[in-house]
Amino acid sequence: MLKYTLNRLLIALPVLVGISIISFFIVRLVPGDTVTAMLGAHYSEEEAQALRETYGLDQSLVTQYALWIGNVVRGDLGQSAFTGQPVLAAILERLPVTVQLVAMSVGFALLMALPLGILAAVRRGGPGDFSVTFLGLLGISVPGFWLGTLLILGFSLYLGWLPSGGFIMWSVDPVENLRHMILPALALGGAVAAVIMRMTRSAMLDVLGEDYVKLARAKGMPPRVWILKHAFRNALIPVVTITGIQAGYLLGGSVVIEQIFSLPGIGMLSLQAINNRDYALLQGTVLFVGVCFVLINLLVDLLYAWLDPRIKYG
Amino acid sequence: MKEFFRRFRRNRLAVAGLVVIAFYVVLAVLAPVAAPHDPYAMSADAMLAEPGRDHWLGADPFGRDIFSRLMHGARLSLMVGAIAAGIALIAGTLMGMLAGYFGRWVDAVLSRIMDILFSFPDILLALVIMAILGPSTVNVMIAIGIVYTPIFARIARASTLSVKEAAFVDAARSMGARSMHILWRHILPNITAPLIIQTTLSFAFAILAEAALSFLGLGVEPDAPSWGIMLNEGKNWMEHAWWVAVFPGLAITLAVLSFNVLGDGLRDALDPKLRSSGA
Amino acid sequence: MRRFCAAIGVAIALLGCARESPLDDLPDIPDEPVVGGTLTVAVQSDGRTLDPHRATDAGSMRLIENMYGTLMRYTEIYGEVEPYLAESVTLSEDETTYTFRLRDDVTFHGSGRIMTADDVQYSFERITNAQVRAEQFRHIRSMESPDPHTLVVHLERPVAPFLTYLAYPMNAIVDREVVSENDGSLDDIVAGTGPFQLVEWRKDRHLIMERHPGYHLDGLPRLDRVRFRPISDETSRTTALRNGEIDLMLDVPDKDRSILDRTGYVKIESVPGTFWEYVGLNTDAPPFDDQRVRQAVAWAVDRDMINQIVKFGRAQVADGEFFPTNHWAFTGQSVYPNRDLERARTLLKEAGYQEGFDTEMRVGSAFPYQVAAAQIVKQQLIEVGIDVELISEESGVFFDALGQGDFSMTLVGWLGFVDPDEWLYNIFHSTGSWNQQNYARDTVDDLLERGREENDPEQRRAIYAEVQERILTDAPVVLLYVNEHSSARLYRVQGYRVHPTATTLALRETWVAP
Repeated sequence: MLKYTLNRLLIALPVLVGISIISFFIVRLVPGDTVTAMLGAHYSEEEAQALRETYGLDQSLVTQYALWIGNVVRGDLGQSAFTGQPVLAAILERLPVTVQLVAMSVGFALLMALPLGILAAVRRGGPGDFSVTFLGLLGISVPGFWLGTLLILGFSLYLGWLPSGGFIMWSVDPVENLRHMILPALALGGAVAAVIMRMTRSAMLDVLGEDYVKLARAKGMPPRVWILKHAFRNALIPVVTITGIQAGYLLGGSVVIEQIFSLPGIGMLSLQAINNRDYALLQGTVLFVGVCFVLINLLVDLLYAWLDPRIKYG
Repeated sequence: MKEFFRRFRRNRLAVAGLVVIAFYVVLAVLAPVAAPHDPYAMSADAMLAEPGRDHWLGADPFGRDIFSRLMHGARLSLMVGAIAAGIALIAGTLMGMLAGYFGRWVDAVLSRIMDILFSFPDILLALVIMAILGPSTVNVMIAIGIVYTPIFARIARASTLSVKEAAFVDAARSMGARSMHILWRHILPNITAPLIIQTTLSFAFAILAEAALSFLGLGVEPDAPSWGIMLNEGKNWMEHAWWVAVFPGLAITLAVLSFNVLGDGLRDALDPKLRSSGA
Repeated sequence: MRRFCAAIGVAIALLGCARESPLDDLPDIPDEPVVGGTLTVAVQSDGRTLDPHRATDAGSMRLIENMYGTLMRYTEIYGEVEPYLAESVTLSEDETTYTFRLRDDVTFHGSGRIMTADDVQYSFERITNAQVRAEQFRHIRSMESPDPHTLVVHLERPVAPFLTYLAYPMNAIVDREVVSENDGSLDDIVAGTGPFQLVEWRKDRHLIMERHPGYHLDGLPRLDRVRFRPISDETSRTTALRNGEIDLMLDVPDKDRSILDRTGYVKIESVPGTFWEYVGLNTDAPPFDDQRVRQAVAWAVDRDMINQIVKFGRAQVADGEFFPTNHWAFTGQSVYPNRDLERARTLLKEAGYQEGFDTEMRVGSAFPYQVAAAQIVKQQLIEVGIDVELISEESGVFFDALGQGDFSMTLVGWLGFVDPDEWLYNIFHSTGSWNQQNYARDTVDDLLERGREENDPEQRRAIYAEVQERILTDAPVVLLYVNEHSSARLYRVQGYRVHPTATTLALRETWVAP
């Protein structure tokens, strides 16, 4: 297992370096000049030059990359050119919002997907299966931003049950915090629920065909036992994998959802960075999200190897 | 082939998907001649007109006819979907086949590049690419194409790896066929099934991605009859005029749904071993 | 399954926590203002800095203005100012020396130190060094303080808008000791004298400020705390107000007025305001280097229709002057009274464009109402053969392009101007710092210089009427409309008044019925 872990890490390393290179250079390709964006409509050339020097923008690209990556390794992602806030601090400040959003989305998704997926597999071919299959297809087809809009319209405007957006910190008011996150988590989790549901159904179908499940069923065990104890446990591996992978994708999906629900998370931060042409901030968020994504995938790989004895640790 | 059609026809959902897609294609093709209104024509009198005789699906805040805009939007969405999926298919397949066939450093380099591109969430990557290229329809196609290239590369690479060792490839190689010939004549025809399935699914993704980018204001031109832009405009009018957001939303959902069920159906029909799993 | 049911139970419990007191039960409003309470205000965007002298964006200004004070202050009449931290001000015969008598009871946040003439002089110097608004203080020759509460400012020449500049909320008086303790930075600290002082600023979440106990005016402010919440999406903002999540919103989308009115518990107040929008034409390059082409655009645009669709008819359509009706310099003149397509086509023909031409128009994607207006302008110009391609860009790129003159057409607006000089000089003088249209006319330059030096209001009004007619006839910009400024508040919020310049200085008089 240790060897397998090290091997996976070794493969991840060049990818991480690649991500850093892309994060750095992709941002240089973006048109528009941070300095002019920062100074507004009126400024003197000396001022602009001074700023360029402050942010090292007057050096060659390779030098800039070397300087930058050196700082990144030491945990310094630079300063936002707009607010002067350190980029890492800005990211860490918003991270809890996105983490909570993603976690709650995955939570909702599992709550909806597992029972329905199991139900569909057990009642294969029946009307229940057909409805669940169709619901799953619908779920991956509905644009999250449309779902979000419909949820606001229904639950916030017509019913007035839940707030339409904004964020309250858990430490300030846990109840309000949860109430503000329900609709965004539902909007973001809808598609994930559909994906997990489809996976649960097909994994369960695989397992239900196995002899030991058939045997358990034939022996007259109550459904709760043979479905949950025998079948579901063994169907869990692909479900866990796909859930992990989806959690990574949610980092991207949160850009749109955070925008609709005015949530101050990583997604909103990266959109602001794009809109303001804030080089350091855009670099930082792109790098951060990329690295998170790789780490999540690495974890999923390891979890998979740990759950599935058939994988050789070679 | 007969077997394929028999299996495909049995999947009623997939057939329905194909019918809906055909319907969209007809709408798209006929839009310039058959649309009841000019999709750009504005009128202060028709502002937010309710669905009715003049405007079957109502009018938007500019008094433009929603049905006509949806028809023209179908053109745009299908075009973006086709070209973006096409870019990803061609670039991804090429890279994947090269990586799978030549192995060694070619594989190492191409696979790492794909891994790296794969390491950014799709929407974020598309957003950054759009920020570099600037907003326009062509750029949307390019950005979405780049984002979905790694998926095709992975599929093509894996399929190439499994086909490469087959007896007929060995035979061709021993007869002195050139690599390009083998790739084109012997490998490509044998890896099309998974690629066709993925193309269908990518069509769905591309339509969604275009809508999302346009929704965030980094997509096509602002007056283009894009479903995503219509939805973005409509979202602010939900309470006054539900039809402005509901119909484009339904149009997107139905189109994406159709491509998804078609993809599922193709998967089941083309390759019974691949059971429909997650997206 | 049991766990599933439990989760549903929790969800229902959370839904049940919705606010108990229905907003429909309108409270009785006491006759006398009530002291205390917290007010939550929704703003469009978060600030970038808390340093008044460096702030350039409206988001920062809304957060900063109530924490600082200025020598002069705007009155209810648009464009007029009165002493605020100054007690009185006198102007010398030759109109170049201002003598300010300062109040002696103004204290800074934190230290509680009394503000002196040294702080004022230091602040003016700091503004000059910070560049952003150095232009406004450029003509100061020297300053002196004969005693701690008197400041004498000598100007090189008469500057008519000088006192108006001093009322600009960002030209604030700062605590020179605090600034030097922080190495010149004022980003996250406050060194002001305003009615409220900073408690906490969490980016994109909120800014909280509380009553300044040493505020120099008795009985003010009335609120204990004010909380600003940035909500960028207009619909979300409206919804938050309807649900009582916020008490006051500073910008009311025109389309949501009817919804808010219908609630019965939201009050909307509007005044003609500072925000004007126009089609900008780059006079440096063909085809818009030809006056006739520019005039053709001005005749071809149907301002009423744009106003109807984008502003629900609430804006003040303008074609001959930049000022709103409530400004002292307003005259009501008109240059393009009606849409005239024939005239537009004739002008294009004379300029050699009888076949029309293709061009492009840049708009900022952050301003959806401008993107919307641009779409209508595009449709209207097609009727005279001008085919416009719309380019909608993020603010960074968009303003960059405008600043560098890299555009043919644009649809954009200005806001925040108070004195006619601010309105016109920087944008239409050949050396003006925001002259994006690259417009240069000697006669216009002369008139603008005269307006800047003339202190008599009637004379100035005549000068500006003339210069506006000249500019708009020449049409480097095609003026569309001047917007209202509105705010919406819950019924229980009292004492807040909307100001044409969009400042929220009235928060100090605001109170909340219990």
